[in-house]
Amino acid sequence: MDPARRLGPAQIDVFLQLGVSTVLLGGIYALIAVGLTLIFGIMRVVNFAHGEFLMLGMYLAFWSYTVLSLDPYFVLFIAIPLFFGIGLLTYVLVMRGVIHASHNVQIFTTVGLSTALQNLALVLWTGDFHTVRPWHALTPIRLAGTAFNLSQVVAFLIAIALTVLLFAFMRWTHTGRVMRATAQDREAAILMGIDTDRVYRITFALGIAAVGAAGVLVSPLYAVYPTAGLQFVLISYVVVVLGGLGDMVGALIGSLIVAAVEVAGSYWFGTAWKEIFYFLLFIAVLVFRPAGLFGQRGAENLGV
Amino acid sequence: MAQALARHWGALVIFGVAALVPVVVRDAYFLDSLVLILLWGALSAAWNVAGGYAGQVSIGHAAFFGIGAYSAALLGTRWHQSPWLGMLAGVLVSLAAGAALGYLSNRLKGPYFALSTIAFSQVLLIVASRWRGLTSGSEGIPVPFRPGFGTLGLGHVAWVYLALAVAVLYWGIQVWLEHSRFGYRLAGVREDEDAAEALGIPTRRLKVIAVTLSAALTSMCGTLWAQYVGFVDPFYVFSVDLSVRFALNAIIGGIGTALGPFLGSILITSLETYLRATLSGVKSGFTGIYLIVYGTGLILVVRFIPDGLAGLVGRLRAHLARVHA
Amino acid sequence: MRYRTVAIAVSVVALVLTTGLAAITWGQAGEYKIGVLEPLTGPLAGEGKRHMEGFEIVRDLINERGGVMGKKLVFAVADVPDPTAAASEANRLITREGVKIVTGTFSSRLCGAASEAAARHNVIYWETSCVDPRFNKRGLKNVYRTEIDATGFGWYNIEFIVKHLAPRFNLKPNQLKIAFISEDSSYGQGVTESARARAKELGLIEVAPPEYYNFQTINDMTPIIVKLKQLNPDVVHHIAYTNDAPLFWRQAREQNFSFKALVHAGATGYGGSDFGKAMGNDGNGVFALLEPGPGFKLDSLKPEGQKIEKDFRDAVQKRTGSYPFGAHQLAGGGLWLLKLVLDKSQSDDPEKFRSAVMSLDLPVGTMINGWGVKFSETGQNSNERVQHYMLQWQNGQLVSVWPEEFTTNRAKWIPLGAWDQRK
Repeated sequence: MDPARRLGPAQIDVFLQLGVSTVLLGGIYALIAVGLTLIFGIMRVVNFAHGEFLMLGMYLAFWSYTVLSLDPYFVLFIAIPLFFGIGLLTYVLVMRGVIHASHNVQIFTTVGLSTALQNLALVLWTGDFHTVRPWHALTPIRLAGTAFNLSQVVAFLIAIALTVLLFAFMRWTHTGRVMRATAQDREAAILMGIDTDRVYRITFALGIAAVGAAGVLVSPLYAVYPTAGLQFVLISYVVVVLGGLGDMVGALIGSLIVAAVEVAGSYWFGTAWKEIFYFLLFIAVLVFRPAGLFGQRGAENLGV
Repeated sequence: MAQALARHWGALVIFGVAALVPVVVRDAYFLDSLVLILLWGALSAAWNVAGGYAGQVSIGHAAFFGIGAYSAALLGTRWHQSPWLGMLAGVLVSLAAGAALGYLSNRLKGPYFALSTIAFSQVLLIVASRWRGLTSGSEGIPVPFRPGFGTLGLGHVAWVYLALAVAVLYWGIQVWLEHSRFGYRLAGVREDEDAAEALGIPTRRLKVIAVTLSAALTSMCGTLWAQYVGFVDPFYVFSVDLSVRFALNAIIGGIGTALGPFLGSILITSLETYLRATLSGVKSGFTGIYLIVYGTGLILVVRFIPDGLAGLVGRLRAHLARVHA
Repeated sequence: MRYRTVAIAVSVVALVLTTGLAAITWGQAGEYKIGVLEPLTGPLAGEGKRHMEGFEIVRDLINERGGVMGKKLVFAVADVPDPTAAASEANRLITREGVKIVTGTFSSRLCGAASEAAARHNVIYWETSCVDPRFNKRGLKNVYRTEIDATGFGWYNIEFIVKHLAPRFNLKPNQLKIAFISEDSSYGQGVTESARARAKELGLIEVAPPEYYNFQTINDMTPIIVKLKQLNPDVVHHIAYTNDAPLFWRQAREQNFSFKALVHAGATGYGGSDFGKAMGNDGNGVFALLEPGPGFKLDSLKPEGQKIEKDFRDAVQKRTGSYPFGAHQLAGGGLWLLKLVLDKSQSDDPEKFRSAVMSLDLPVGTMINGWGVKFSETGQNSNERVQHYMLQWQNGQLVSVWPEEFTTNRAKWIPLGAWDQRK
């Protein structure tokens, strides 16, 4: 009989394991989505090249590990400032010119960026699949009948820390308040003497730093290759819309929901159909609660 | 009459040249590129009806393309029906799907609308690639080549004229949109929805109609493409890449203009074909370069000529007028 | 003023249209050019590149031996990331480069469109790797395939499981529990479904419906593993692409999912070099159906097969520093076979070419990979002649283990022991 339909004491371990998997997978999604929601929330730009910055982060970890034998957790300290810089550069070269343009222009600018970066990686490093296997990726942890590995736990904890940090930053620092003010009403912000260009610059750089760090952190878990970003980018949009525009905590909860849908769908209905569940959920949220599950005011109108 | 000719000289030139090419050129690759230019142009024109004229920018139009491709391929291979019938079936399904999408995502704007269309096309992709019993799953469907007009088994010259006919038809529909009451009201919705609503224009209904029409037109071309290329692969016909291509041609050519999608397609399709042909064979390590060029070019074009080639031509014209005045 | 803008516009249009009209590049005298289509960008780029390497290596071997039809063999290469590109580039190579023979293409999504385009030009299409069973059933008479199709892969895999593994598990075929997992590309679905059909004929017990997943979106295999663990299959039949194979293996290990064997087919996933690089000794025990690997006995081949197989291996070793991988062997074997046909036909005229193809009748062991040749009327090389081999990961290397008459190595870890005891 199909074990998915069977219920009994032996199933408790299974449920525990599925729960643990959900939480850890959700952590990875949150880690990746947090930078996207920041950029989307403040700048109102959907960054279609988000996955490519993730991919670049993974390559950074791979090369540091292979050439210099550096552990990804050490590389993290290089990655954050480095990707902050890459974010600044990308903003100045690419995004600044289109920040006041229509959504079409913005969408297709980032699409162009995505194509260019993907193929840059292909030309530089070929289409081979690489893996990073530091000791923590090989260390299974067994706890109360469940199993997972150390790299996942670390990625999850850092996701939480990052979410909390960004949340605190947005809420309690001056820069954070300025960023939120700009997001809510650009014209008013300009009238108040806020340098919106600086706000966007910092936002974009922070978002890219976050996703670059995410790339480093997931490198021990997933293969590194030029189109690796595609694997996560659609899910990140789902997470961001679910959680509400620019809402860090919402993104974390959204990630857990998507992960739960994915794990449960995969277990009970077969992996073939798992994506359909989160896309349908996504469409339902867009149709019925476009502001996200936790309802940010008037977010559906922010599109215009 | 003369006035209309003067107004549409650009279209006359483009379609006129396209009509003359097969008379003088017999080179199959050239004709093949021309068919693709016209087909991709027509597809962008179809996209433009929703994206340009109604302001409903979709990145999921591959959904309707795929419906058109699959309808004809399935009817043809499973029930031995003519692709023309398949095209009709595809149009009917797309009308329903377009209406559903248009209705559901009615309130959404900008990136939200775009994201909802992506999700929509992804759902169809999953269904097409997993429902083996109906669609042969991800193995796709080879479309057999049976010579004849009824089976769309045509030579390159015939294909050029067929694609040209579709292109002219779609161009005409757009011109009609520019001059009809429906089109004016649609423009009102696009420019300021609240004001349009206040004037008593049924904004929602108009948007749904535009998306539905656009879906049906896209589906027709999907059928043609499948018969032309001869193989329906779910991961291609429902891909985001393809949806982006439809939008891209229109944006580069000039969004919301009748000729824009075709200008965009001429530029992008020939550029892409040309770059691939010249750079991909150079050395196996450098094959991604043309896509880097392509991506960078895209960034530059939308940055510096956001109103597209049609806008550029318009500005050039205005500039010349000033110089001469 | 109006006329000037018109003039500008017309010349722009004319210019764009004529860029495509650049002169046909004829091959130089003494060279014979064929078209090669491979996905060199996009998600399939990694494998496409290796196929290309295989083609290039064998092209050089052919030229060292005097080329084809007395001329030096050269390639016109085209990148074909998607079906439209495949059709369009096939058109280009045929009309611009003037090729009469087109080969490629690695993926089933590409070979359909490319061969269709070639057929419409009445040009020979020589497929070396796509496995869609319907490829040769479309009534196209100038379309040939040197590799077996998905049905063949499924057949070989179940043959190995039933004849080689089951007795060593002390199980009869109808006692053997099998689970199917697969990435859902046309390759994965094709092989998995034909293996399922064959397994059903032989009475194997399928423990659950097959689990299909998209290799580009699979981020966690734990739910599949947790489910299968409870069903306790003896054999896991897993067709994987390259990123998902290490993911499954790592997570199966974490979950302590113990099965007696895992069997894969093809040059991706468990059959690719990337799996070995990713897993090292931890990959020990996995089976993959492929072309021959280390341990393959040259003296089990016919004399002419021994010579070319050795030269091929050495050339790959020289170029890549390792034993040939499946992608090299498919492309290389296919191209070598093309040479044999051209030697016989001395012409690329479709009729003469076809009769040369049909007249070739070489036993197993005469070619690269120990293949033989016998084409069917539909242009498909036969399953029995295109000998395939089971390889196993042993200490970071993928070595030949079956059929045993072809190899000095023996399969180990049957059944697979605990995860930490496979050294």
